[in-house]
Amino acid sequence: MASQQSASNHSNRRHKHEGRQKHIVAFIFSIVLSLIAFAAVASVAEVNATFIIIILLVMAVLQVIIQMAYWMHMKDKGHLLPLVFMLGGAFVALTCIVMALYWVWW
Amino acid sequence: MSAHGHHVEGEWPHQPENATLEGRNKVLGFWLFLGGEAVLFGTLFATFLALRDQVGDGPTAAELFKLPIVGAATLILLVSSLTSVFAVQALHQNKVKDLIKWLIVTVLLGFSFLGLEIYEFVEYIHHGHNFTTSAFSTAFYTLVGFHGAHVAFGVLWITLLIIQVKKKGLNLVTAPKVYVSAIYWHFIDVVWVFIFTVVYLMGRVV
Repeated sequence: MASQQSASNHSNRRHKHEGRQKHIVAFIFSIVLSLIAFAAVASVAEVNATFIIIILLVMAVLQVIIQMAYWMHMKDKGHLLPLVFMLGGAFVALTCIVMALYWVWW
Repeated sequence: MSAHGHHVEGEWPHQPENATLEGRNKVLGFWLFLGGEAVLFGTLFATFLALRDQVGDGPTAAELFKLPIVGAATLILLVSSLTSVFAVQALHQNKVKDLIKWLIVTVLLGFSFLGLEIYEFVEYIHHGHNFTTSAFSTAFYTLVGFHGAHVAFGVLWITLLIIQVKKKGLNLVTAPKVYVSAIYWHFIDVVWVFIFTVVYLMGRVV
């Protein structure tokens, strides 16, 4: 990957542009994960609610990781600081959620 | 980051958004902004989660939400994220026509998402679910409406970028702008994943 990158900086003709396939795969994964979540809720009568909520949250987190890695290019090189910013943001956001629930309900 | 710095004059670089210092700063600054946006949406999600059962005399989430319309909105936004990433690929390959084509498709999908959301909100108001009906309704409209406002800003922003790229062409000044707007559009999609999960689907479960 690294050698490919440096080689591509020298000549326009040797640019190796990524294909569409991996983005379409990320799209299909997103659709499937969403469908699982919607199907879990549609079947709510038979299964217990806590179990479904855990499924929903796992599907959401997986989908967000896939979209950030591929569509927001976070798996590419030079994305350490964006990762720090986003994880920092997610950490504060999660703290807010826990604190709001704690203040209101315990 | 230094690996992207070897831009040769006259060639279209592999990652045009990273080819100039201005572009690199723009991308980095935008990620810092998105970290702040994550916190902002986090506080709105926190408020919603704390208040979502406080419906007072108003309708509950389970009475209001219809899965088909939420599914349609989800599909529209997912497809628009895909067309947005196609736009960035066209940007990397210096294909201006493809870039503009995919940006236009993205904007049109953004508009249809907004249309669907407006239809949905009007429907809720007919069911007696106004902004001030209950703590739940206020938290709902604030969170989902704030996301909708982001979509509205996104379609406006990308529309202006289409006009600018048509006028000034695709170059190392306009390329980072388009790249950053695509990152913003994906972020909106990421927030929507949590909205359809936490607000709509969890609202139907409990």
